[in-house]
Amino acid sequence: MSAIELQSISKIWGATTAVDNVSFSIDQGTFAVLLGPSGCGKSTSLRMISGLEEISQGKLIIDGKDMTTASPAERHLSMVFQNYALFPHLNVEENILFGLKVRKTPRHLQNERLSKVAQQVGLEQLLDRKPAQLSGGQRQRVALARAIIAENPICLMDEPLSNLDAKLRHIMRVEIRALQQRLGMTVIYVTHDQAEAMSMADKVILMCNGKVEQEGTPEELYNKPATTFAAAFIGTPPMNLIDPIACNLGKTMPQNGQDEFLIGIRPEDITLSDTKGLKAELVSADYLGADTVVTARINDQEILVRTPGKVTIAEPVSTRLQWHEEAVHIFDKSTGKRNDKVKVQSF
Amino acid sequence: MISIIKRQKISFSIESSAAYFLAFLWVLPLIYALWAAFHPAEYATRFELFAPLTLSNFATAWEQAPFARYFLNTFLLVTSILLVQFVLCTLAAYSFARFEFPGKSIAFGLVLIQLMIMPEVLIVENYTTMSNLGLVDSILAIGLPYMASAFGIFLLRQTFKTIPHELEDAAKIEGCSLWQILWKVYVPLARPTYVAFGLVSISYHWNNFLWPLVITNSVTTRPLTVGLAIFGAPESGVDWSIITAGTLLAVAPLLVAFLLFQRQFVQSFMHAGIK
Repeated sequence: MSAIELQSISKIWGATTAVDNVSFSIDQGTFAVLLGPSGCGKSTSLRMISGLEEISQGKLIIDGKDMTTASPAERHLSMVFQNYALFPHLNVEENILFGLKVRKTPRHLQNERLSKVAQQVGLEQLLDRKPAQLSGGQRQRVALARAIIAENPICLMDEPLSNLDAKLRHIMRVEIRALQQRLGMTVIYVTHDQAEAMSMADKVILMCNGKVEQEGTPEELYNKPATTFAAAFIGTPPMNLIDPIACNLGKTMPQNGQDEFLIGIRPEDITLSDTKGLKAELVSADYLGADTVVTARINDQEILVRTPGKVTIAEPVSTRLQWHEEAVHIFDKSTGKRNDKVKVQSF
Repeated sequence: MISIIKRQKISFSIESSAAYFLAFLWVLPLIYALWAAFHPAEYATRFELFAPLTLSNFATAWEQAPFARYFLNTFLLVTSILLVQFVLCTLAAYSFARFEFPGKSIAFGLVLIQLMIMPEVLIVENYTTMSNLGLVDSILAIGLPYMASAFGIFLLRQTFKTIPHELEDAAKIEGCSLWQILWKVYVPLARPTYVAFGLVSISYHWNNFLWPLVITNSVTTRPLTVGLAIFGAPESGVDWSIITAGTLLAVAPLLVAFLLFQRQFVQSFMHAGIK
């Protein structure tokens, strides 16, 4: 059974529609990520699920019950906020116990759960500190502890790692994922960072302009992007979307309607060659450590190529690009939708 | 370079000597009161370093007028005003800061207008209202016109507005009602503002004179300031030593409190943004 189901939910403020007819469902115990660029409606969707924002249209089902108009507390969920939302006047212990105290949980239960949770997130030594005396990562842990101590089956997270530095973010990513699996929580996690989504999610819901662009596992999004937006959003560097005619690839396309399609190839699926393949000119290189992202140019189309090791390009050099037909994704130029019926020929 | 530092030094020393001068001018009456109150009457207007010290002026003042009763009245007045102000201003400020309702900006405009009107202008109007309510010559009548303080509403609204929305959201998720959010999030976070406003309110109403003089006419309601004025009125004979002793009695609690909590006072004023 799905833990959470959104049925055609919209959020309308006057003339603007922030979330437009969004439907998806999330199974119990799933780590779901709402992914998208800023302003795509992912945070608004999360706030509507939490009950902090009213739902303009549609229906929200949580655990089989209609919760469209229920108050946040009735929905039995926890939430972790971007800026942690710790109460500055309370110490760590009081912050973690805040919800239990509001709900008047018996004192001995509070203590029991506190010691368990404090141990789980590694805060035993810091219980009497004020939030101002904690580092970013420790504050994040307090926010997590406050969310899990309620033992709610659902936890919502709104860009919880965006204020941390890269190294700490990686550590917390692993910890949050491990905690979610150990506790069997259903998590909805909002982020604009596709790497975060790919590494943590069981299911990714990609949003753009208030609509769901694609939903699926990280592999599905990476291997079979449903639209040009999904193709360009997932992966670093993003997928190359090129016009076949401008790149002298007309003959690889079906005879009729060569100009109706875009072809997408991931930078990591292209190899550089001296002898065979498509003629191109290398213009610049971005060294990343393990590999280098090279910018190649065919006529006026730029194509990114990911190649192992270090490559330096002092001045433009000509080369040839190669890829397998299976690596090619075809999209309709007019709608941006994936088209699996069309096959390309090798060149 | 050197000349700039020099010039800064000079301007600093001018500023500080001006400050010392002003402070001296201000403290002069207090110094005189201390001198006169602790010496016999014949030394009240002349200075002699080794004049005999005495506490008899205080005893006489205490006996001649019902200061104990005046203290009680002032204490009741100041605390009742402060408590009601806290409640009313908190509620009003919360709704101005966080709720949308029709006529909100007009209502807030009216509150701001109240800030610009000197209370003395309203003495006659207030007296009529109090007499219509049948409250003339009661402690409640002294406090009532000041209880819905525009200053307090404004100050708390500004403070509440600076409290991040996320904290309120977090409290809502944890199941807090509106009252609980106010009580557990907004009020504790606005503590410095409450302290600062409390100080302003206490010192203002402790020292307030004209309105209590108009509205009270018996010992059981008169606050210290009015009692002191009657005590020191020319028709009851001018004895500077006893008058200054009575004055010191009247200002002592505030003075002692200020000296004790000076640091906290200044800090909370800085926090609350009042200078």
